[in-house]
Amino acid sequence: MAVTPDVGPELTELVTTAHRIREAIESVIEGKGDVVRLTLTVLLAEGHLLIEDVPGVGKTMLAKALARSIDCPVRRVQFTPDLLPSDITGVSAFNQQTREFEFKPGPVFANIVVGDEINRASPKTQSALLECMEEHQVTVDGATHPLEAPFMVIATQNPIEMEGTYPLPEAQRDRFTARIAMGYPEPAAELEMLDVHGAASPLDKLQPVATTAEVRALIEAVRAVYVSQPIKKYAIDLVTATRRSPDVRLGASPRATLHLVRAARAHAALDGRDYVIPDDLQALAVPVLAHRLLPSLEAQGQRRRPDQVLEEIVRRVRVPEGREKASGGAGPAR
Amino acid sequence: MRLPIAAGLATAAVSITLYPLFSALDWFWAGLGAILVVTTVSALTFRRTVPRWAGPPLALLALLVYLVAVFAGDQAWLRFIPNLRAADALAALLGEGFDAIQRYAAPVPPRPGVLLLTTAGIGLIALLADVLAVRLRRAALAGLPLLALFTVPAAVLSDPIGWPAFIAGALGYIGLLIADGRERVGQWGRAVLVRRPRAGGTARADAAPLALTGKRIGVTAIVLAVGLPALLPTLAPNPLFGFGVGSGNGPGGNTITIPNPIASLRGQLTQPVNAVVLSYRSDDNASRYLRMYSLDTFDGDQWTMSQPKGRPENRVSAGPLPAPPGLGQGTPVKAYSSELLVSEEVEGLSFLPLPYPVTSVQIEGDWRADESTLMVFSTHDTAGGRRYTVSGQEPRPSYEELRQAAGAPDEGLAERYLRLPGDLPRRIRALADQAAGDAATPYEKAVRLQRWFTTEGGFTYSLRTQGNGNDALVEFLRNRAGYCEQFAAAMAVMARTLGIPARVAIGYTGGTGVNGLWQVRTHDLHAWPELYFDQVGWLRFEPTPAGGIGQATAQVPDYSQPPASATGEEEDGRTTPSAGPNDQDAEDAVAAQRAPRDPDAVTGGQPALAEEGVPAGAKIGLGALGALLIALAPAAWRALTRRRRRAAWTRGGPAGASAAGAATAAGPAPSLGRAVHGTWRELADTLEDLGLGHDPGDSPRALARRLVERHELDAETSAALTRIAMAEERLRYARTPGAISPLTGDLRRVRRALRATVSRGRRLRSVLLPASTLRRLRQAGGRVLDGFDRLEMIRLWPSRRGDDGRAQAPAETRERVPAGR
Repeated sequence: MAVTPDVGPELTELVTTAHRIREAIESVIEGKGDVVRLTLTVLLAEGHLLIEDVPGVGKTMLAKALARSIDCPVRRVQFTPDLLPSDITGVSAFNQQTREFEFKPGPVFANIVVGDEINRASPKTQSALLECMEEHQVTVDGATHPLEAPFMVIATQNPIEMEGTYPLPEAQRDRFTARIAMGYPEPAAELEMLDVHGAASPLDKLQPVATTAEVRALIEAVRAVYVSQPIKKYAIDLVTATRRSPDVRLGASPRATLHLVRAARAHAALDGRDYVIPDDLQALAVPVLAHRLLPSLEAQGQRRRPDQVLEEIVRRVRVPEGREKASGGAGPAR
Repeated sequence: MRLPIAAGLATAAVSITLYPLFSALDWFWAGLGAILVVTTVSALTFRRTVPRWAGPPLALLALLVYLVAVFAGDQAWLRFIPNLRAADALAALLGEGFDAIQRYAAPVPPRPGVLLLTTAGIGLIALLADVLAVRLRRAALAGLPLLALFTVPAAVLSDPIGWPAFIAGALGYIGLLIADGRERVGQWGRAVLVRRPRAGGTARADAAPLALTGKRIGVTAIVLAVGLPALLPTLAPNPLFGFGVGSGNGPGGNTITIPNPIASLRGQLTQPVNAVVLSYRSDDNASRYLRMYSLDTFDGDQWTMSQPKGRPENRVSAGPLPAPPGLGQGTPVKAYSSELLVSEEVEGLSFLPLPYPVTSVQIEGDWRADESTLMVFSTHDTAGGRRYTVSGQEPRPSYEELRQAAGAPDEGLAERYLRLPGDLPRRIRALADQAAGDAATPYEKAVRLQRWFTTEGGFTYSLRTQGNGNDALVEFLRNRAGYCEQFAAAMAVMARTLGIPARVAIGYTGGTGVNGLWQVRTHDLHAWPELYFDQVGWLRFEPTPAGGIGQATAQVPDYSQPPASATGEEEDGRTTPSAGPNDQDAEDAVAAQRAPRDPDAVTGGQPALAEEGVPAGAKIGLGALGALLIALAPAAWRALTRRRRRAAWTRGGPAGASAAGAATAAGPAPSLGRAVHGTWRELADTLEDLGLGHDPGDSPRALARRLVERHELDAETSAALTRIAMAEERLRYARTPGAISPLTGDLRRVRRALRATVSRGRRLRSVLLPASTLRRLRQAGGRVLDGFDRLEMIRLWPSRRGDDGRAQAPAETRERVPAGR
């Protein structure tokens, strides 16, 4: 849809910057516009992203491309069964010269942290990372070290290899704003990838197109996006519907509602809109909510996945009809 | 517990239908008390250890105590214990009540006797219903006593009972049936017929959903019973007949219609409303019968009127009327004059009520007299609201003159007034001869005949009989019960068999008078025979019983009651009942008078129309037209809705343009909002009408996109559609709606494009039976039913079974999302 003409300068700025970042990433990851857009949405919504897919489809590449194009520190942690929490958060080491303990920041002290194959680490280590994600700070030996904004964790999970892994429990999956699957590229995109990647990594050629400060400004702009009362009601309706669905054993949490609306703001801003519409929520319902739902035994028996349940809910829950309830002009039966 | 209460409620509801019989409400409270007593005793003995058979006698005893306490409290011990004196008082009251019922026509004033009768009757009906429904568990049979109660007003009054009363009674009966059904099912086990599943099991079957179903069926039945007859064209027999006067079918439409006087008579007499028709004063303060029609032909079935001749020279304004036929010069006469005023409520009365004979009438308008009968009528004017003065000369013949008067002096008169159908039953002639006995002269025969009707024959006055033909005549003479029309017809026929020229007059009795002002009411409509005597002319006779047991204001003329010495007969003392007007009756009648009624209601208003009535074809056509209108109602509603939505732009348009600047975070101008929402809803309704439904989950933007993709709309149309969608979206969700220009044109374009995508039949259906309107009608119906359901869910006291959670259970199940199967 066309950019609405009368939006503020912040939003125009946001749209152009976001466009630059998207182009930069898409020069590395071909044919994955949706994924790139969703990644940006999560970034602007100050959330975290869980990428669940088979190896080799570009999960890490996506994270790196995002980090490179923003010109911010990026750290990558390969999760293994023997990884310890201190390997993530950092340790206090004794400095022989000063005769004091010194905090050595771990890989989490970066703007973008890529946690590869997070399900391979022990739950103890996983929860250390998740705590950072939620609190935006690290506490080691009683000292609290804040993390710099923007802070985004992009974790990847391999759903195929199940042996010797610790899949994230529901409660922890809930902390990720969205979960996406990369999916295999289109044949044409794959062909182009061969052409481009054959010689050298395009990542090397990638120049930063935005600064950390700019991204922080963008996040501020997203916070100003207007969410009308009917939209809030609609978000609640959607979430409530997941809780009531007979196909779902565990519905979405109130945190999910919060994440959904926050992501919808970012989604609207990326469209150049200063208000959220139901379409934003609908587009984000599956990525934001699906990984939080536990399908009921019947649904599992019928091989109905949560994303199918969600699509059904989105189709059926009535779109809010506006704010003029009191005037009697907007009753659904009129 | 539920059943006795339901039976009592049903009786109370049905007793409401008695309302037209009484002029005050006392009976209702007294009857309610009786029902309450019976119901309370029944409910108390229902579950207690009292033997089953003991309930009804106990209730009867309680009813007796109640009656004594209310009606004979001053005679009883401790004001309520029945004793002999109280029983005597009750019996006396009962007799009084029966008398009053004989005396008064409905509505009856609240006399204690009548009240006692009514209360006891209602109490007994309540007891009977209770025995049938509660003791014998035959709730359907309990409808019989209720029906008996229901038929009382229907039988006494010819007017139908008001439909609200009918609905109340029917609801009461249905309530009884439902209560019975619930008790029955409650003893069985779980109910199967449920509309909505309910959570939670109970030990006892919950019959509430069953009752719900029953109520719906019952309510539907009542609605149909009340509504359908109102919609159907009635096939009432056409009571009118008309005939031409003068040129008949001439260009001036110079025809008049008269009602079948006979047919309208009984209807008037049985009307509950006794309205004043006219009032008059006479110079001699005397009351006189006021004749309107003179029926001269008896065809074996009924008395009818031959064509009156209103020649221009017989205009009443042209001078004195023709001389009364047959009045000889030597007969003494008494001159009188009267001033009459016909009530303004009277419509379509084209024959003047006049004393007989009259010599002059002063009235405005074109009124003409029929030469032979002196009926005064008009083809143009009606009598309603008119004031006129009449003067005339009443024959006052002596008994001697009368006794010597001959019957029919000339051929013409005899031909007209002595003619009888050939198949007149012999029995009538035999009876006439028997009644006349050995009387020698026509006058003596007439007097004997009248006396036979009033006293010797043992006739009673009753409005319940019908008909006036040969068979009916014989029937009347056998049963000896009838009303004025039959008395008059019978006496006229019998007089003809005896060789006395006779005709039947229809009009009003003299009415009731106060201080010389006589008031004539609907119930004073009357028929009487007129007999002809040479040199005297036509004389009125009165065979109908008068007073409280007959035609209240009928009066027997003096000349028809010769003193015993004059007629030379030994028996005379018990001649006629007193004819004095009953002042109490008159007052009651005034009290009962609610709305004056047209005494000639049977007459059609317009002669031309009334001549044929409304033809059946026209009725069917009207019915079809009505059905068509009903069928087109959704389409009309749809069109109105569309107009209203379009009009919202012209009202909100200018405001809308400025709203772009004026709109604040508080929201857009309401008028603009209405216009935009209206446009959007119009689009949604159009889609629904055309069968291009959309998911409830479609946002405006998504819907627009989908429509453009699916129907491959051209660029301009899709731009228009997008404009509408964006306006709606911004209005709904944005902080400020921004500038929105009128979308009427865009909507028209989109509508046209969408209509082009569907078949012609679908387009036609979208206009004639718009799906969106039908859905709304269905929703409205559903809401009404939901309202019933909610009424049903109301529990006045917490359930004994302690299943509190059940109250919320239906709501839970209802809202539960049945996500995709």
